Amino acid sequence: MDQAVIHHRIERWIGRVLRFGVWGSAGLMIAGLASAWISESTIRIPAENPSATEVLRGLFSGSVDPTSLMFAGLVLLMLTPFLRVLTAAAGFAAEKDRRFTLVSLVVFAMLVGELVYSLR
Amino acid sequence: MTPESFILLVVGGGIAGTIGAMLGLGGGVFLVPFLALVFDLPMHQAVAASILAVIATSSAGAAMNVERQVVNLRLGMVLEISTVIGAIFGGLTANMLSGQALSRIFASLLLVVSFLMIWRVRHFRQDHTAADEGVFPSSFMDESTGEIVSYSAKRVPIVSLVALIAGNISGLLGVGGGIFKVPAMNMISGIPMKAAAATSNFMIGVTAAASAFIYFAHGHLNPFIVSPAVLGVLGGSFLGVKISRRIRGSLLTWIFAGVLLVISIRMFTR
Repeated sequence: MDQAVIHHRIERWIGRVLRFGVWGSAGLMIAGLASAWISESTIRIPAENPSATEVLRGLFSGSVDPTSLMFAGLVLLMLTPFLRVLTAAAGFAAEKDRRFTLVSLVVFAMLVGELVYSLR
Repeated sequence: MTPESFILLVVGGGIAGTIGAMLGLGGGVFLVPFLALVFDLPMHQAVAASILAVIATSSAGAAMNVERQVVNLRLGMVLEISTVIGAIFGGLTANMLSGQALSRIFASLLLVVSFLMIWRVRHFRQDHTAADEGVFPSSFMDESTGEIVSYSAKRVPIVSLVALIAGNISGLLGVGGGIFKVPAMNMISGIPMKAAAATSNFMIGVTAAASAFIYFAHGHLNPFIVSPAVLGVLGGSFLGVKISRRIRGSLLTWIFAGVLLVISIRMFTR
């Protein structure tokens, strides 16, 4: 396949990933805020923000309370750039461009390293 | 949290996003002072909220720009190495500083930004580096003229250094950093303005994500504050892009450069 066609296909995929991340997270945040509002006339904000571990534990337990829904949206939003970089790496690999596949993977590795370091 | 404060967050985020997009600054420059001064939110939480808003607006804008083929993907990926390193160190540094110190550094940034806003209007290059003169050659169709613009980039290591600093500021203060990267890409590398702005915007989401989890891990993300603010900024940024196509920018630039100076003084004395 022509390189330009492959490149344009990568660009379309990156666009799709970004749209999915933004609108998916916006949907989750709206759902969380709406359910908080429906369940209580005044939204009570916890005195302390939950720790990242508590949030992730809540998300993985399948909880659908308002706070978990909003955090799910925020985590999806934070992970969207990770998916975007990974999509770019896959695209460059499809183009057989080893140099830029490596560059993308280096960026991805740095992001994952920061994520693991932060949540350790 | 009352319904009124929720609406205020959405509207405030919306105004920050609208003005930020109209001026090409992103919403963070206005969102952080709004949350810190109006909502009296601790500085670290205001920065964290802004970082999330930056990811949202950058990703939404980049989705459009990348499909219109205005983004220089290869140049963006190379510069991301520097911005991500800068952002990680920025995020780590911010969490070692007090809120007051962060507030004063942010106030200093606003002074620099208000100066740069006026300076860049007069100094942007209209020409660009020819496709065979530099590296990362690319082309895009300029929708205003209908012409295909082919270009390449020069002096990428210098721009990488600017990207490192911009990334550091992003991680430290929750702003996108485009105000530094776009002029550098245009004036140092000779990249056409539209490609420079689109490529910078494309990078900003990754830069912001590099420090986002640091703030998350430190418990600075309050979903009841961040969610409405992000939704407001996201909506406002779409509105701002539409408005900016219809009005003259120079008067607007002078007005908001003045507004930023006033906000800067308020942040210094906070």
